[in-house]
Formats: sequence, structure tokens, C-alpha cells
Amino acid sequence: MAKYSITVNGRTQSIEAGNPEMPLLWVLRDTLGLTGTKYGCGAGACGSCTVHVDGQAMRSCQVPIQAAAGRKVTTIEGLSEDGRHPCQLAWLAEDVAQCGYCQPGMIMTTAALVAGKKPAGAEQIEAALSAHICRCGTYGRMQQAVARVVAGAKA
Amino acid sequence: MSATRRQFLKNGALGAAALALPIPLFGQAGKLAAAPFAPSQWLRIGADGRTVLVVAHSEMGQGVRTSLAMILAEELEADWKTVVIEQASPGPNYTNTGTGGSDSVESSWKPLREAGAAAREMLVEAAANKWGVPASDCRAEMGAVIHSASGRKASYGELVAAAAALPVPKQPRLKDAKDFRLLGTRVPRIDGPGIVTGRAVYGIDTRVPGMLFAALAVCPVKGGKLVRYEVTKAKAVPGVRDVVLIDGGVAVLADDTFAALSGRDALEVVWDDGPNGKLTTEELWGRIDRAAEKPSRSTRKSGDAGTVLATAPTRLSASYRTPFQAHATLEPGNTIAKVEGGACEIWSPTQSPQRVQKEAAKLLGIAPEKVTVHVTLIGGGFGRRLGADYALEAVAVARAAKRPVQVVWSRADDFLRDRVHPATRVDLAAGLDASGRLVAWTHTATTFHLSMFGDFDANEDPDGNPWGGCDNPYDIPNLAVGWNEIESPIHTGAWRAVYYPANVFARECFLDEIAARSGKDPLALRLALLSGPSPFTYGKRKVDRAGLARVLKVAAAKSGWGAVPAALKGRRSGRGLACNIYHGSTLIAQVADVSVGAKGDVRVHRVVTAVDCGQVVNLSGVEGQVESGVIWGLSYAMKGEITIAAGRVAQTSFGDYPVLRMDEMPKLETHVLAGNPVPKGIGEMPVPCVAPAVANAIAAATGKRVRRLPIRPADLV
Repeated sequence: MAKYSITVNGRTQSIEAGNPEMPLLWVLRDTLGLTGTKYGCGAGACGSCTVHVDGQAMRSCQVPIQAAAGRKVTTIEGLSEDGRHPCQLAWLAEDVAQCGYCQPGMIMTTAALVAGKKPAGAEQIEAALSAHICRCGTYGRMQQAVARVVAGAKA
Repeated sequence: MSATRRQFLKNGALGAAALALPIPLFGQAGKLAAAPFAPSQWLRIGADGRTVLVVAHSEMGQGVRTSLAMILAEELEADWKTVVIEQASPGPNYTNTGTGGSDSVESSWKPLREAGAAAREMLVEAAANKWGVPASDCRAEMGAVIHSASGRKASYGELVAAAAALPVPKQPRLKDAKDFRLLGTRVPRIDGPGIVTGRAVYGIDTRVPGMLFAALAVCPVKGGKLVRYEVTKAKAVPGVRDVVLIDGGVAVLADDTFAALSGRDALEVVWDDGPNGKLTTEELWGRIDRAAEKPSRSTRKSGDAGTVLATAPTRLSASYRTPFQAHATLEPGNTIAKVEGGACEIWSPTQSPQRVQKEAAKLLGIAPEKVTVHVTLIGGGFGRRLGADYALEAVAVARAAKRPVQVVWSRADDFLRDRVHPATRVDLAAGLDASGRLVAWTHTATTFHLSMFGDFDANEDPDGNPWGGCDNPYDIPNLAVGWNEIESPIHTGAWRAVYYPANVFARECFLDEIAARSGKDPLALRLALLSGPSPFTYGKRKVDRAGLARVLKVAAAKSGWGAVPAALKGRRSGRGLACNIYHGSTLIAQVADVSVGAKGDVRVHRVVTAVDCGQVVNLSGVEGQVESGVIWGLSYAMKGEITIAAGRVAQTSFGDYPVLRMDEMPKLETHVLAGNPVPKGIGEMPVPCVAPAVANAIAAATGKRVRRLPIRPADLV
């Protein structure tokens, strides 16, 4: 079994996998027990499995473990130490979640876009979130949460 | 700050290293080691004041863990910040844990209020005894009892030991609605902090010691059988531990989900598809059409619709068709089962814990009491999880594997094994007299039986079906309603609002056709038809025509009914409305603004909803369910369609079965009206009127009537 060194939520780990094509999604969920990253479609179509790979939002179901080797991965569990990332606070303030299953992916996409020196605007974030699916239809409140995050990032 | 929130902050403070540890096992949160005060199965208070409220319905996004807890907390006068939720498992104390029909809040309202009030009275009495004052001089507030005259105060935690020794009052005094502190306010979802940090545990996230992951090959055609299978390639997949046979399927057991799914895909399996192996959508519609030509079962009749229709100077008729629909819950089917020592333990995202318990017991040949069902958080239900099928798969695999397993479905499995909502044809006819008054109406629905709930039985109680047809709220002197249910050769099941969407789509669109023919405004026509005797009784239910008229007027006023929506360059704009009463309870009216482009492309710009669902428990929850229902309804109206080819569902991904996304969001306006003192349902109620409101708006914009869903641009050119 091959070993892969991946830094997950700040901790570098050596992970064994029998198949180099094993998606990062299942490494996170089943090998590391980080089940906040959700399986929705396995085809990159729903966005539920979105994590940050070297700061970029990526569909973890589309990233083979061999491609994640040597990279820094952040999952929803590691987005903040105290659950008070601006996106998390905005999502709570707008009471966005219904079933909640898609929300970690939505938050990770938004968080990646507002990080860094040139945070994205609401339009760009909404375009990225339009590649996600929320079957409960919480899009309206999510837009309000995004507006909060964007306003905060500008302030 | 709620207890769950504080707990999570405490955990979070451990830092990033802790975050990499496996998540805690399901079901530990909220358990109090020793709770001295447990006056009923619904609540417990510890000496530290921590208050455990028990929720006996499934949380699938409708907010029931928050709303049911709010009802208890209101009467208990608990401090909401100290509340912890515990999910009930079915058993002698929890005999109705099923979640469906938007019924959880209404059916729990009385027992939970009484449980909260009884506990409050005991705590007040304990404090009064302690202070030697009359209980009537004391009041409960924010988790404490206060002696009004002296200002003395004792927290619930200090009182639990004494309160536990008192008898439980049988008829406690309930609070006056005017004194509600929590009910009717906007309370954020109690699971919110867990959700936004990834710590909320759904079925698929649950882990139990010693478990393996399992993926199954089953025949995608109803009635198909396994002919032979070959496991060599599957067993060669890294991470695969074993392959076991169950009745109707082959299961691959592995160390992780990916290996299980890969191993399953590597299985070589030959199926005999059986008698349904050649079914197509066309054949299924053929069966509906042939059934629709036969006499239907009469389920409501007043006057003589047949004769009046035959002699009416103006007659209209139309058929409306709605397609097969998938649930496409974002969390795919999954369940963990452990079968050991003559007992069984199940962890399942289910809407039917009792049913899972009963059917698992039957499968294993053990008593239901030997089956424990843990209900997990559910990543979308919408009626799909009323079926016990996927839980039973896990039980069968766990028995064969002789160790705990988690069966997980891929997205394709989830489509192929869905219990689709059946296609429906609704035939309507109306007769107008010489003055243009609607004097006769017939409504006949033809659809497939919902196989999820058991075998087809032609003599089964039609249960007010067709819903939306039988409880037609309009005052029409001659009315006849018929129901034509046929056996289904594919797996079918309940879907958000079940029979209402197809029948309300037909009824409300047809009413607009009548309005157009008789030169009446759609709002004015409805209000005239709702001015008859109110309420009227239909079956066991009362239908509040006057209430529906009130709600309709609000939706019309708030939407600017009567004016034409703003014109957009190159597009035709229109406004449409629809209204409905769901099983004599929640009253709802919706107005949609749309525009249609030259190529028939439809954009929905705004949906205004007015709703009276009785006493509001959680306003944020009610508004959220309306928003959710509108989006669900738009996916249904504009996109969703399952087709059948070679006896199986032809769609296997979100590429084939698109649902509404954020960039297609209309503006949503929701007006929640004060109404009945008893809360009524809200999860399903906002769905049925969406498609007809949009279709009526399209007709207003283009003159073209939409009579089949989903709405197709080609039909509007």
C-alpha cells in the first residue's frame, strides 16, 4: 500500500491507500473520520464535498489521493478553531440551513472566495454557488449570508 | 447561547489537532447520566439545570428538532439556552415517531404542551413548599421559580429533587397564547452550529465500532432476479474484505466506501429483469391513458354534474399531465445495522423508525423489542425515507456479514432505487350556464399506486383522493370527483405533498382557463367561488372557504394583482395565481411573476406567498419552509422529470435530473398570517400552488396554456 503525506487542517499525516485514485473525499470521511465533508454525487455536480486544497475550493470527490499528496487541505472542521469564521457566523445569523447536508460545501466555496487580498464580490460568489445544489432550496437565505460576508470582508 | 452551541465552542477550543480525530459516535450528545427530575418521557432536568427535551420525530430540514423543543420549552418556562435535544428511538414511550404529512407539530402540540406545563407546575409547587408560600404566589421564568412578593428565586436545578417527589398533574394549566415568549418568534435552528462546523452527524456520517462499509448490486428492475454472479474481480479491489449474498442482491464489504463502491462496480452480475424488463415511459403513460378511459371510483359527488355538464351552453375540458419525479435527496440512501445475539441495532436516516423496527424484526424473525432504531439527522427526506427498503438492506447484509455494516448508495443507486412519485393524468370538465356561471365540474385523477406502502389493493380506502380534487374548496353546485389508481410495475412512493401537486396544478390551471373563457379576472372568479357556505364539511375535514379567500386577498394585494408586471425587453411578462387548502388545514395562496422569451424560455422573477398555518411555532422555520417549498415547486414545474427505459429509471445523475440552482432564484416574499390557535403543517403545503401559479402567469404572458409538466420552451413558442 502506498503512503501519501497530506496536511489536513494544519496537521501533516501519512495516509495509506491501496488505490492511488481513491478520491480525497473518502480519505477524509472514512480514513480520517472527517465526515463534515459530504458525499452528494461523486461527480463534481453538487458541491457538497468542497474543501480547500492549497487555499482553492475544490470538489474532493474529483481529487485523487495521489494528487492531494504534499498539499494542504482544509475541511469544514478546520475552517476555524472556534466555529466563528465569518461565513459560519453569517450562515448562523441568517439561519440558512434546513437539512444542512449541502451547507459545509457552500460555506467552503464562499470562504475560499473571500479569503486573500482580493476578496470576491457577491456576484462572483453566487456564480460559484450556482454550481452547487441545495435540495431544500435555501438559496435565498444563502444569498443574504453571502451579502453579510461580503460586507464584512469590505469593512 | 444554546447548550449545543456552548458544547461545540468548548470542543472547538481544543484546537485543530482535535478536529482531526474521528467524530464522536452518534447518540451520546444530550444524555444525562443522572436526571433526578423526569416527570414524563418528554423531558428531564438535572441538578445542574441542564434540560433535555426529547424529540420523537425525524429532523430532515423541516426544523422539527427546534420547533418541538420550543413547544416544550414554552410551557416549561425553560431557559432556551440550557436546552439539549435528544432524539427518541421507537419504543413503548414513543409509539408514533413517523414523520410525514407535515403533521409533527400539529400532532405533538397538545402532548408536548401538557408535558411542559406539568413539569412547570411541579417545579413551582416544589419551590412553594420550600418557601412555605402558596404556589399561586409563585411564577416560573427562564428556568427558575420566583416568589413574586419577596423576590425569592430558585433555579430548576435546585428544585428537581423536591419536584421529583410530587405527583405529576394530570390536567396542568396551559399558558395563554398572549403569554408566549418563544412561540411565534424566529428561533435559529438548534442544529445550526453543528451544521456549519461539519459536526452534525447524518446517517452516512455515523460510525460504530467494528463496522465495514458495504455497497450492493441489486436488480434495477422491479421483480427482477439474480441469475449468477462472479466475485473474483470485486475481491481483487484494494480494500475489499468480502462479498456476501442476500435475498435479491450481492453485497461487497470493504474498509471504506470507495472500495465498497469500486468492488460493487467490479462485480459481474447477470440479472433476469423479469416481466417489467421492457417497460418504457410511453408504456406507462399508455397504462394511465387506458385506465383513464374506464369508469373511475367516485370519491365525491354533489348535484348532478354529468347531466348539467351535458346540457350546459358552454363546456370546457382539458387533461393535465405531470411526470414521474425523483426525490434526489442530497444524502444518498444509507443505514448501519448490527445483528448480534438475537438482537438488532440500526442507525438510519429514516422517516419511519417504527416501520423499520417492525420490518427488521420480521426479516430477522425476532420480536420488535429486540430491534433498536437510532434516528440520525437526515440529509433531505421529502417522503423518500418513509420507505424501509434501504434500512432492511443493511439488516440483511449485517446478518450475512456477521458484523456491523453501513450500506451506502452511490448517487446513481439513489436514482435507480428511488421510489419515484408516479406520473399522473387529471381530466377536468366544466359547464358554464348562459350567464357564464360555473355550474358543473368533474375532476378525475389517474395514477399509479404508491408501492412503497404495500401491495396494490383496489378496495383500499382512497383517503380523500384525489387530494386537491376531493377537497376542491370552490362552491360549485354540481361536482363529481373520481379516482383511478392502478398497480405499479415500477417502485413508487410518496413525494413532498404527495397527490396535491398534480391535482392542484390541474385544478388551478383549469380555473384560469374558465376565467379566460368567461371573461373574468382569475382572482375575482376564485373569490366568487369561495363566497359560498364556510366552512363546509368534506369527509372528516372542515374546509374553510372564507379563510382561503382572506389569504388569497392578501397574496393578491401584496403582489400588486391587477397591474401588469414590468415589461422586459424582448420578453412577454405575466402574473398568475393559485390557492389551496391542504387537508382542511393550512391555507395558502401564491402569485408568480414570469417572463417568456422568444424561444419560449421562462424566467420566474418573483413568487409571493400568503399563508395561514395557524399558531406559528417558529417563524423562521415557517418562512424557511415556504421558501423551500417554492424552490421545490419550481424544480418540479420547470425541470424535474424521471423517465423509464428497459424497466428502470433512466436518470442517474444531477446532469440528467436537474434541480433549481441559485442563479435561477426568483425573489421570494412570504406573508405569514395570524390564524387558528392550533398550529398546522407547513413542510409540504407551499409546494402544490407553485406550478399552477407559474403556468397561469405564462398563460397571462403568452396566451398559451401549460397542460403538462415540466414546462417546455417548445410548448411556448
